[in-house]
Amino acid sequence: MLNVFAELPFDRVWLPFIYLYGVGGLFFFGSLWLVVRAGAFRKERTGDRVWLKVLLFGFFWYAAIHGGITIFATS
Amino acid sequence: MDAAAIAGSSPVFWAILIGYFIVVLGFGSYFARFNRNTSDFFFGGRRFSWWLITMSIVATGVGSHSFLKYSAKSWEHGLSGTMAYMNDWFFMPLFMFGWLPIIYFMKVRSIPEYFERRFNPTVRKLATIALLVYMLGYIGVGFATMAKTLLPIIEPHLGWDLMDITWVVALVAGVYITFGGQTAVIFTDLLQGFILLIAGLVLVLLGMDFLGGFPAFWEALPAEAKLPLANFNEDPGFNFVGIFWQDAVAGSVGFLFMNQGLIMRFMACRSVNDGRKAAAVNVLFALPLSAIAVTAAGLIGLAIATSRPDVLSAESVESSDDIFVMVTALLTTKAGFGFFVAAVTAALMSSVDTLINAVAAVFINDVYRPIKIARGENPSDKHYLKAAMMVSAIATVVGVFAAWGFHQFESLYEAHGWFHSTLTPPLVATIFLGIFWRRFTSRAAMATLVLGSLLIACGRVWPNVLIAPFSHGVPPSGDTPYLYIGALYNLLVCFGVGILVSLVGGKENKNLDGLTIWSVDKARYFFKGGEPNDKQGKRIRRLWAIENQLPAETISASSGELVEMAAASGDLAYVCDKRWWLGGLRSCHAKFTLRPGESSVIYLSPDLAASGRFLKGEELTIEKEF
Repeated sequence: MLNVFAELPFDRVWLPFIYLYGVGGLFFFGSLWLVVRAGAFRKERTGDRVWLKVLLFGFFWYAAIHGGITIFATS
Repeated sequence: MDAAAIAGSSPVFWAILIGYFIVVLGFGSYFARFNRNTSDFFFGGRRFSWWLITMSIVATGVGSHSFLKYSAKSWEHGLSGTMAYMNDWFFMPLFMFGWLPIIYFMKVRSIPEYFERRFNPTVRKLATIALLVYMLGYIGVGFATMAKTLLPIIEPHLGWDLMDITWVVALVAGVYITFGGQTAVIFTDLLQGFILLIAGLVLVLLGMDFLGGFPAFWEALPAEAKLPLANFNEDPGFNFVGIFWQDAVAGSVGFLFMNQGLIMRFMACRSVNDGRKAAAVNVLFALPLSAIAVTAAGLIGLAIATSRPDVLSAESVESSDDIFVMVTALLTTKAGFGFFVAAVTAALMSSVDTLINAVAAVFINDVYRPIKIARGENPSDKHYLKAAMMVSAIATVVGVFAAWGFHQFESLYEAHGWFHSTLTPPLVATIFLGIFWRRFTSRAAMATLVLGSLLIACGRVWPNVLIAPFSHGVPPSGDTPYLYIGALYNLLVCFGVGILVSLVGGKENKNLDGLTIWSVDKARYFFKGGEPNDKQGKRIRRLWAIENQLPAETISASSGELVEMAAASGDLAYVCDKRWWLGGLRSCHAKFTLRPGESSVIYLSPDLAASGRFLKGEELTIEKEF
């Protein structure tokens, strides 16, 4: 069982978040770079432009969920 | 467990459970009529809408063990028990723009087939053996988990043991998959996806009601349990950094890129765009909902244990795995408990049905068909369809015997876990490098599969020497040290071997058109058999008629209709019953041909009308593909 009265230092609260979206962000934006570089994404195709926006939204959507809950939990 | 046994005494409980089995069997027998060939049986004829595929992926992703496992994790660690469901977005660009278009446009029917086309037949054989053993083992684990969940409820009333329960569950699953194929899998998974999501969300509402609302629930949770991510590296049994590498990286790539069942599901989509929608909606919205559903019992149990220890105390929970059944039995009536047992059963069925269909696809495509071709035989597609049904039935029986093995020897669970974590990284690295690095050679692929597995095994033997340098400060503990963070070492050695052998071994002269992310446009060309037409057109709606003179798989449209759809003669068309809620069940793919003059009716070749199962008098929607 968890300790109800545990202190929550900064690295307990935010280090996992920073690592998740730092290293995960490297994978994500590195993947985007590769997709563009390889020519799999074509900006002249409307559908491709829409999907690029969805991909970027997804990254920040999850960062907002994790960040929002963390702030709510510690406020 | 007593509460579970008491719930089993309710006639309503049995009515719900038996009713569920009857509905599932009914789905199978109904959708059997939609299987005319192997494309229908394995890929549902590439006809389904994104929302149908999304729900079926939800059901497949939530396994029979999920309710028990993630409830246990959230009971022990709070909200961070949801982590595994909330970290799958990082590789989505490569999936949406790389892997999905490649498998769809190149009409790759199985992962081993991709390996032969990208590398050589030897790599295909290695991958076939590994995948078949892995999937059959996984079917056994699914049956074994299900039987163990149902045992305390069923044994006191019917006297059935683990194997009796396993046979009954396997019989139901085996029948509807054997006759219904992918179409039955998709539609039963739609039903099962809703059942298990509703069950989890109802549990949340019941829990909130019991505790006096969300503020009371939140207030009752311990401070650390409110955090959505686990401790960075302190707890060797559950730490963030290990789960990141094991689940967010290896697990996500494994699920998206090397899950044969999932690949077949995406191949069942009506288009790449619908596949992208299914993947995006699943990860962005369905997975967070699934996370709530599977962890709800643990979180509510944790809040009750803090605020109402007289009802549920930490000491009364002998094993964390019991928390799902304990909390569910506490919050529901006997009849309601039946619904939750049906939900767990649905979670098993929906995972196992996908695996059985995938085993049949790999066996027929990568073992049986090559043998027939090597012998110079050329059987009809009907022959392969019958063989696929037979293999589905055999795979179910083999899964039952594997489950028997798991029942007999507890250590086999560990053996399967060991096999799973040893096998996945080499396959993941091989697929990943194969798709994204043109220089990656066949020799390097074989080295990754064989040497990679060997080095992973070495890591298991000498973890303190080989894995410790990558441990991020996670302390070693227990019989299997570096349980999660070991994935980082596994990935590094596999990718390392692949890259090293490619660089040292020299370049390979092989036509890779359409098989890597660098030539996705060639894959589109291959799919259409000509230059893709990316002009934006409209979808039109027409009544239909058969024109016997039309060549096979052809739809004739007037010049005005072609202009409206921005299509030309020879372009690919998607023709669908106008009722969207059928999800593409009555639809087909075709090629446009120009018809002189104008007409209020669209004309189809006879084979299209049959394969699309269109109904007389029902309007169709017609649109250009791409």
